Amino acid sequence: MGKADTVMIVGAGPAGLEAARTVAELGKRAMLIETKDQLGGTPYASYASLTPDLQETEHAMEHMLDAVRNNPAVDVRLNTRVVKSEGNLGAFHVTLESADGAQSVEEVGAIVVATGFQHFDPGRETQMYGYYEYDDVITLVDAEKMFKEGKIVRPSTGLPPERVAFIQCVGSRDRQIGNKYCSKVCCGIASKQSIEIKRMLPNAKVFIFYIDMRMYGFWEDQIYWKAQEEYKVNYIRGIVTEIIRKGDKLLIKGEDTTMGRPMEVLMDLVILSVGMEPSKGTVEMSRIFQIPREDHGFLQVVGGPLDTVSTPVPGIFVAGAAAGPKDIEDSVSMGAAAAAKAVGILNRLTLEV
Amino acid sequence: MEPIDIPVAGTKVQTSRVFERDPETVRDEDLREAIWELGREGEWIVQPVPEPYYLAPTKFGRQKKIPLEHTWHHKSCGQCGHIPGYSTSIFWLNRLLGFDYFDPRDQTSCTAWNYYASATSNQAAQAAVAMRNFSAAYETGYYPLIHCGTSFGHYKEVRHELVHDAKLRRQVRAIIEKLGRPFVMPEEIVHYSEWMYAVRKQLSERVQFDLSKITATVHPACHYYKLQSGDAIYDPEIYGGQRTAAVTAVVQELGAQVADYSTWYDCCGFGFRHILVQRDFTRSFATLRKIEVMKQEANPDVVLTHDTGCVTSLDKSQFAAQAHGRNVGVPVMSESQFAALAVGAHPFRVCQLHWHAVDYRPLLHKMGIDVERAWAEFEADVEKIKHGEMEYLTWEHVL
Repeated sequence: MGKADTVMIVGAGPAGLEAARTVAELGKRAMLIETKDQLGGTPYASYASLTPDLQETEHAMEHMLDAVRNNPAVDVRLNTRVVKSEGNLGAFHVTLESADGAQSVEEVGAIVVATGFQHFDPGRETQMYGYYEYDDVITLVDAEKMFKEGKIVRPSTGLPPERVAFIQCVGSRDRQIGNKYCSKVCCGIASKQSIEIKRMLPNAKVFIFYIDMRMYGFWEDQIYWKAQEEYKVNYIRGIVTEIIRKGDKLLIKGEDTTMGRPMEVLMDLVILSVGMEPSKGTVEMSRIFQIPREDHGFLQVVGGPLDTVSTPVPGIFVAGAAAGPKDIEDSVSMGAAAAAKAVGILNRLTLEV
Repeated sequence: MEPIDIPVAGTKVQTSRVFERDPETVRDEDLREAIWELGREGEWIVQPVPEPYYLAPTKFGRQKKIPLEHTWHHKSCGQCGHIPGYSTSIFWLNRLLGFDYFDPRDQTSCTAWNYYASATSNQAAQAAVAMRNFSAAYETGYYPLIHCGTSFGHYKEVRHELVHDAKLRRQVRAIIEKLGRPFVMPEEIVHYSEWMYAVRKQLSERVQFDLSKITATVHPACHYYKLQSGDAIYDPEIYGGQRTAAVTAVVQELGAQVADYSTWYDCCGFGFRHILVQRDFTRSFATLRKIEVMKQEANPDVVLTHDTGCVTSLDKSQFAAQAHGRNVGVPVMSESQFAALAVGAHPFRVCQLHWHAVDYRPLLHKMGIDVERAWAEFEADVEKIKHGEMEYLTWEHVL
């Protein structure tokens, strides 16, 4: 098959995997580029289970990985990064670099960028949560790592916590730090994790401090009410402003906006619900492929709500959290949509020739 | 409040996680390139930081140029009125280090305090005062060093407005031209405590006393690091780079212990406007939320800070609380005064501790300073002045 029959997909997370599979299913060749040494992206590497159904991530995603690994129409390149791109729709000349520094130039007809997000670093601009000061302040991702080992403990002691607090919107919905958007999934993940903690430690008290809970669609029923009614998780409206150490506990200070008063409460473990930002790869691909970034820093799409995957650069599409905060289902849907559009444009190109 | 026994861990972080600064991911604006760009376009003159300068790490890992000498000292109305030893200590330290500096008489009040109390004129007038002071510095050839945390924060807000608002820039430029002055923006806006940070190693080499038994608590000024926060000093060695290093780094370098306490982030009580409109609130907050908490949790020998309002509120508010038998009574001063004492400055001739409300003598004794002898020397000075043998104290008397 020629260059116009190949779609390059950059990033092998849920969106990239689905894009590669779809390209292959539509009869074209997919070249899947991943900088890391394994497929699956951020959820596969970092999350023990998926929101909202609590399926084990490795098990749930295995069929996606297999569909790509064992597919002769998908050329998987691990430990490889895109370093340069020239040409345009129908004939992109993309320079790849492997981990050992060897470079090759690949000619492809269209490109899907699925380079995803990175979690907000809670030490960067919200130092008051003490993530880099206290062991017992962790992030959603740190908690998932513990869940992978089947436990949740206070890192300072190795013992199970009696009182756990989640703090929502860390690095999201915060004009002061410049992230003027909701990261969409953190409310769901925190609620999912609160259920998991209560399953492991039925006697623990779990609190979620929030601005407002954003449980879109079925998540409201699947996890939000379930966490409250079946697992007795306490949802407290009002954001925490500061965490300090008191004795061997953490004192969280903030405001309870339902009660209309300041609060100071002791906790054993605090979990920061860190939001999404464009990954370094996404920023890098914006530069290499000359894709403009929208106001929030993610890759720009041209169709508004009616075309979620076409970028202003003809022949280049975006899928998943590279285009803004996304949950897994949206990422996978976008992967398929981007692949369909990429294949469609190559088909039209072939017909025109 | 029930007493809670908290271990004072000083400034040590309690995790092995290490914060990696990445200026690339920060969206907080770095205005310095814009300032130079406006300079190249002829919008204003940019006054460069004179060499030699010290490069200090900021919150997001950018390097801020801190001038070591050729500094023009923008003093503070509060300092000069309430804590004269504050500014004097800064000048004395400059002299001790052999630095060339300029003590200007051509300076106006910055308007910030009334601005925060919603009691001042308008945006252009405020910006014009800032720019007038910058031009006054430029005309002397010396670089502005801002003593007051409130002025520092306010000037940075003004800088932000002037960079982004061409109409305001033109308005202010017209005012400055009417005054017959050049329209100048300094390359960096620098607070004196950043200068203290820059010279901390030079000072530590001259320390005269063993300070290892001295425990200090630090109150960082809100105006210093909470307004336009991007270029406040954050040192990876201090609190893991998670709290501003101003004051703390200096005190540690001098050999004293810095103890943590749970209301570290809270305001001193001065509160931008509370001291003007709700003075009782200020007094209660300063003593009950700050001093008493420090006493209970860390029992410090001294409270150190880097802003006039903070020293004044924390020091002078204790008088009323003492009258009510509260657990207060900790001397409060600037780190410039503390550093000056540590390297041999006279507690009264230079640091002017007799202006302070809380008894500072136990601290001085613990530092190893002979307070009685120093007081006798100071009284002798006063006698000489009374009898016309001396007109006033000069730098020659105190160096």
